[in-house]
Amino acid sequence: MNSAMAPRAKSTRPRIIRYQGVIKRYGTFQALSGVDLDVHAGEVVCLIGPSGSGKSTLLRCTNGLESIDGGSIEFEGAHLSREEHTLRAMRQRMGMVFQSFELFPHLTALENVAEGPRTVLGKSRAEAAERASAMLAKVGLADKAPNHPAALSGGQQQRVAIARALAMEPDVMLFDEPTSALDPETIGEVLNVMKALADEGMTMVVVTHEMTFARRVGDWVAVFDVGRIVEQGPPQQIFEAPTTERTRDFLSHLGWNG
Amino acid sequence: MTFDWSVVWQHRDALAAGTVTTILLTVATMAIAVPCGIVVAILRLYAWGPIAALATAYVELFRNLPLILVVYWAFYVLPIMTGLGLSPLVTGLAALALNVTAYNAETFRAGINSIRRGQLDAAMALGMSRIQALRRVVLPQALRRILPVLASTWVSLFKDTSLVSVIAVTELAYVAMQIRAQTFRVLEMLTALAAIYWLLGYPQAKLVDWMQRRFVVTE
Repeated sequence: MNSAMAPRAKSTRPRIIRYQGVIKRYGTFQALSGVDLDVHAGEVVCLIGPSGSGKSTLLRCTNGLESIDGGSIEFEGAHLSREEHTLRAMRQRMGMVFQSFELFPHLTALENVAEGPRTVLGKSRAEAAERASAMLAKVGLADKAPNHPAALSGGQQQRVAIARALAMEPDVMLFDEPTSALDPETIGEVLNVMKALADEGMTMVVVTHEMTFARRVGDWVAVFDVGRIVEQGPPQQIFEAPTTERTRDFLSHLGWNG
Repeated sequence: MTFDWSVVWQHRDALAAGTVTTILLTVATMAIAVPCGIVVAILRLYAWGPIAALATAYVELFRNLPLILVVYWAFYVLPIMTGLGLSPLVTGLAALALNVTAYNAETFRAGINSIRRGQLDAAMALGMSRIQALRRVVLPQALRRILPVLASTWVSLFKDTSLVSVIAVTELAYVAMQIRAQTFRVLEMLTALAAIYWLLGYPQAKLVDWMQRRFVVTE
């Protein structure tokens, strides 16, 4: 075991997700070449690294949007199922936020957020709407309930998307580059919502290019390169005393100065 | 040459009954061909290989046969296949539905394919089944997007129902041709026929335009 894979300080909190030797191939291209990572309850784990290094792929494998070709992913003590019914039950406990929001354009903000509770959890229309209102209020968009996504700014759309995921009352939130498609002036409002979630103790896996967020909010940072984690550790280590050349290279290309 | 337009008025009851049949035939065909078109499209897109191939074969067969041929075919073959003495109306409806279902299946398939992958991902990530994701997220968007195509299919169908007159379905065209044969008032009846089709078809086309504006979804 090299220094890049230095064992982390043992967390006393229960483990929510465990990735072991995860391999993912697209044809002959190997997107993930053996990824090991643990996510504990209440932790914010940030996945950073160059584009195409496998961060988003790992996130999409986490809730089974992509299947894996080797290794294993455990969620709350059980292997990620390939069987549809079990997989769906797992997905309900993992909220996901996409780079391109993926709000449902034919529904209002409120209907978007109510859709999961209504269709998946089988709540009554009134109950689903009530929960959706509460979630919209939580992300600061109570007044946008009747608006369709097209009438919202990018930042507002992404906050609705976060509310939509939260409405399922998930145990963990997966963020796939949630601010990469946003105008610079709306990035802050989304990061603030995410920070507030982290402060509440939500377990989060965040693929991000926002180094300041990873540094300030992250509890654990994993640096990806060509389908592997080249270094992982607490943000102080990654950003102040990186132990691998690859991490230093990546951070210096971003103009990160510690 | 002299015209005697009173022949149109004299046969107003028969023409009205034929018009009602034409409208019913159009509505019934669409009522069958829309849900069936969705099912065939979904089978082509998501079903197990051989089933999908069967759906594809069906679409390619009926989309590429002249409708009038299908009408004759249904008239001679359906009674043998089903062992039932089907009325001309049911036979005509079956032929139209077979044809329009094939067209609608292609329209729906294109509509479903036009909804980007991320929408399905977002629905599945919430824990929806594929069927739920299709029904709640993909199809409503696809339907809005293909409404103009469905609408033009509707307007074409309204006129194409006249083809079932060849198997003596007493719809508008058949009725008009019968009157023509009895009265020898050829130009009067053809003109009346054209006027009725146009007067009914034009508002439908306008209604379609309005629906397109009303249900447009912007992303």
